[in-house]
Amino acid sequence: MKWYILKRVLWTFVAMWIALTLTFGLISASPNPGQMRATMSCAAVGENPQECREQFRERNNLDQPVTERYKNYMVNMVTLNWGWSESRSQYVIPAILDAWRFTAQYAIPVLVISTLVGYGLGLYSAYKPYTVTDYTASFVGFFGISIPNFWFALVLIILLGTRVELVPTYYQSGIPIQQGWLSLANLRQLILPVTVLLTASLAWQMRYSRAQALEQMNAEFVKVAKAKGASQYRLMIWHVLRMAAVPLSTSFVGSLLAIFWSGSVIIEQIFAIPGLGLMTYTAIVEQDTPLVLATTLVTVFLAIFGNLLEDIAYVILDPRIDYGNR
Amino acid sequence: MATQRETDVTARTDRETFEEVDWDTQEVSTFNVSRTAVAELLAYGAIVVLFAYDYAVIRNEHPLIANWDVLSVEWLFVATLVAVFFHGVVPLYRNPRMREFYWSRFVKNRVAVAALVYLLVVFVIGIVGPAVMSPPETRFTNRIVPPVGITATVGGVVKTGTWQFPLGTTAEGKGVLKLIVYGMRVSMEVGLIGTVFTVLIGSVVGSLAALATALDIGWLDEVLMRYVDVQSVFPTFMLLLLLTYLFGSELWMIILLFGFFSWEGIARTVRGEALQRSSEAYVTAARASGASMLYIVQRHLIPNSANSIVIGATVAIPGFILGEASLAFLGFSDPTTFSWGRTISAGQSNLATAWWISTFPGIFLFFTVLSFYYVGEAMRDAMDPRQQIEGGGGL
Amino acid sequence: MSGTEPLLSVESLTTHFHTEEGTVRAVDGVDFDVYRGETVAIVGESGSGKTVTSESVTKIIDIPPGEIVDGSVTFDGRELTGLSDEELQEIRGDRISHVFQNPQNGLNPVYRVGRQIGEVLRIHEDGISDAEVRRRVVDLLDRTGIPEASSRVDDYPHEFSGGMKQRVLIAMALARDPDLLIADEPTTALDVTIQAQILRLLEELQADFDMSVIFVTHDLAVVSEIADRVVVMYAGKVMERGRVEEVFEAPAHPYTRSLIACLPGRGSAMRRIEGSLPEATDPPEGCRFHPRCEYATDGCASGDQPPLYHVGGDGNRQSPAPVGGDADHTAACVYYGPAHDVSTLEDGGDRQ
Repeated sequence: MKWYILKRVLWTFVAMWIALTLTFGLISASPNPGQMRATMSCAAVGENPQECREQFRERNNLDQPVTERYKNYMVNMVTLNWGWSESRSQYVIPAILDAWRFTAQYAIPVLVISTLVGYGLGLYSAYKPYTVTDYTASFVGFFGISIPNFWFALVLIILLGTRVELVPTYYQSGIPIQQGWLSLANLRQLILPVTVLLTASLAWQMRYSRAQALEQMNAEFVKVAKAKGASQYRLMIWHVLRMAAVPLSTSFVGSLLAIFWSGSVIIEQIFAIPGLGLMTYTAIVEQDTPLVLATTLVTVFLAIFGNLLEDIAYVILDPRIDYGNR
Repeated sequence: MATQRETDVTARTDRETFEEVDWDTQEVSTFNVSRTAVAELLAYGAIVVLFAYDYAVIRNEHPLIANWDVLSVEWLFVATLVAVFFHGVVPLYRNPRMREFYWSRFVKNRVAVAALVYLLVVFVIGIVGPAVMSPPETRFTNRIVPPVGITATVGGVVKTGTWQFPLGTTAEGKGVLKLIVYGMRVSMEVGLIGTVFTVLIGSVVGSLAALATALDIGWLDEVLMRYVDVQSVFPTFMLLLLLTYLFGSELWMIILLFGFFSWEGIARTVRGEALQRSSEAYVTAARASGASMLYIVQRHLIPNSANSIVIGATVAIPGFILGEASLAFLGFSDPTTFSWGRTISAGQSNLATAWWISTFPGIFLFFTVLSFYYVGEAMRDAMDPRQQIEGGGGL
Repeated sequence: MSGTEPLLSVESLTTHFHTEEGTVRAVDGVDFDVYRGETVAIVGESGSGKTVTSESVTKIIDIPPGEIVDGSVTFDGRELTGLSDEELQEIRGDRISHVFQNPQNGLNPVYRVGRQIGEVLRIHEDGISDAEVRRRVVDLLDRTGIPEASSRVDDYPHEFSGGMKQRVLIAMALARDPDLLIADEPTTALDVTIQAQILRLLEELQADFDMSVIFVTHDLAVVSEIADRVVVMYAGKVMERGRVEEVFEAPAHPYTRSLIACLPGRGSAMRRIEGSLPEATDPPEGCRFHPRCEYATDGCASGDQPPLYHVGGDGNRQSPAPVGGDADHTAACVYYGPAHDVSTLEDGGDRQ
């Protein structure tokens, strides 16, 4: 098992290297917006666009051979010299350090609540399948996965924000800085973002855990446990949930990240939360290449790291794994 | 006693399930040179020829057919519909027993039947509507008109909606109803084209991986499935943002990107099923009788995973529709098409005064996605043999 | 057979399953008794309701969709059908335990076997110490014939073979020294050589632990080896009951006769019962077996299943057996009832 985990950790580094290389390839192969801008602005003031283009290339070391550029790029990435963000007039790394807390403040509660409540509901409706509770849970699940989160956010803003003015309709980033992250005012302005993101992630967790639990409930060992005199609680938690945790662990990170990345961009854009999602969005819209690169890599690294955690969780949860085969 | 059970089995064949269908008699495989296959290939050929004519000869300068100037994404859509026809409609038509069996199980879920009807309506309107209706136009004289019968104060002016714009207009004066009708086609295109590509790539990769294992080329399987692992945790949405930023956001490209980065689930399923089946007797028998591996994949492995593929596809469709709408909402959409997401986004700046701009397209988007999920769930209940033990499905 | 009061008494037990296709009458008025120390075999084809009968005793069938519609199950003087789930949990695994057909999936793959056997002790004995649990688990594994029990206790189920897993499951069932062991096809999924070992083990353990055993099986050969008495079931009904020797020497019901004729080495090897089990949601009127019975008369196709009539020359032939039954040989066939001539059956009985 130790060897297996070591192998997976090594693989993580390989995967990060592949991701970095691919990103380099993508950036090199695509039109460079900075270069186009420089060329155009030169043309606008009457200078020779060709010359400006050359200057820009020189300034940004684009005139060097590809291998040299690749080497520099890799060194910069590894030494966390991720460049300068034009749109934020800030180095990229401090920009990320500024932004992540704004995302974490709503993402972590959503992650915890959706997992606990989602698994709880999923397990309960698997325990009493085809009852009113199950049907209600199933409807809520369908609602949650189907409602477009951006539209849901707008509807909530119309209903709760502009009509009755119950909750703030957009996020004021000054509040957590001045009054503290856990201040009432900050929590109040997080109600809508958390609600919107929670709907989808809770629904997915619930549906998936219900499906897995139902699968396990038909297993022979559950009947054996029942014949042993195990209580319903023991059956569901000690046997069914523990077994369902094996398949659930393999999809946990992937499914959640998918919801979170698209969700955070949309939610932060709607509510003006200056987190990683909004940063990605503005970086792309304002064609701020170093920042686009950075946010992409952060998400990719998180995904790779999540995959590593999944793999480790899987071998811990399932003693049947043949390490030679994975 | 043993012989006793055999008679039981033969007595029960009228309740044959998808897996038990002898696929060799069904003639649904594309590769099988039958009349259907020839017809399908001819259809694709016609599309390619027309496409070439449109772009090479008349250089896309005037409409190809009457006043329909076929857009790039519509070529793909037509090809997708041909594929769905030959691989969905034709086999169902040819096998009434299978059709009736599934239908009888499907109709038990009343909500799903309603959802299916809704989807068919959206599909038909999405195809026919844009053909008979002129595209929504920017008219500032008509800006922000409320829906019919509703009075609202917009910019200090009190306006009441009329039948000219039953669902009101946007800040650019576009009719919301027209935008919704045009959006129906976009959603159907995104869902169906994307899914066809997903299924195509997923089943090819999945069966290739299974085949590699069966032929003891373990490293190929390892490479493919490792890549699938990576893609499954990869932040596809971010990648799409990045790629549309780098390469532009034409609809056909967004759809293909969806297709190219979402096939890992289908690949896993097909590989799993194919591995399970490749050890079964009929595959061994086919190999022993000298059948090529390609033939085995085409005739046995892929068709026998059809159930799982269909189930995977029904989940992919609503996912793509939502994904495209989200991208469009964020402004990453094709300016020549009218995505629901874009209309919802257009209403964002006037939420307080003109609620209808975002609300109506959102309702359609929500119900379309919901209906696809319901239909998918009911189809799974109808097709998945495990569900027979558990009884009925969700709502 | 010792004692006058049966340990377990099942009377007109009726269990239904509510499915989309309709109500499945899996068990339809079944009576039998189990006395202390004896082995009763319930025999039937798959779908005959024998498993549901055995699982209705402590209600380990899924409720819903299952439902015990009628009847009573009296265990050691206590009525079980009306008990709450909590009360039944105290009995399950403690006084009545089960061994099932498929040992491959009977153990939870993520827990060590020792822990799973220990679970029974922890459930039923509050505050039992870890050391005590371990000592007793090792002892149980030892008694069920698992070599090197003290190290095997820490292995996971996938490290055991099918036969060894069944021994673990038997150890689990015996952990609390039950009064009644219900073994549902415990050897069917095993290799033939292993089957014999497990059967022998069960016989030894029955004597060791002084238990009663209900042995559910489709395999008549096994019945003749292990059982004292036999209950033959078909389509949710009891067809015939009696001591093993009586039923095997002189099978009374046409269905039992066909079953025995199908045994290798008996009658014609090629013989089989024509037709198939009736649809579970829509059983035939009259005798459940009449559509496949070569002796069926018009009367067999109407009314309900005939009651259990006494078989043999005890002069009691004309009256139905008392409900609840006893050790007498009875069969649910009109030919043993009034106004029929048993010799018709004997004349046609060319299979013996």
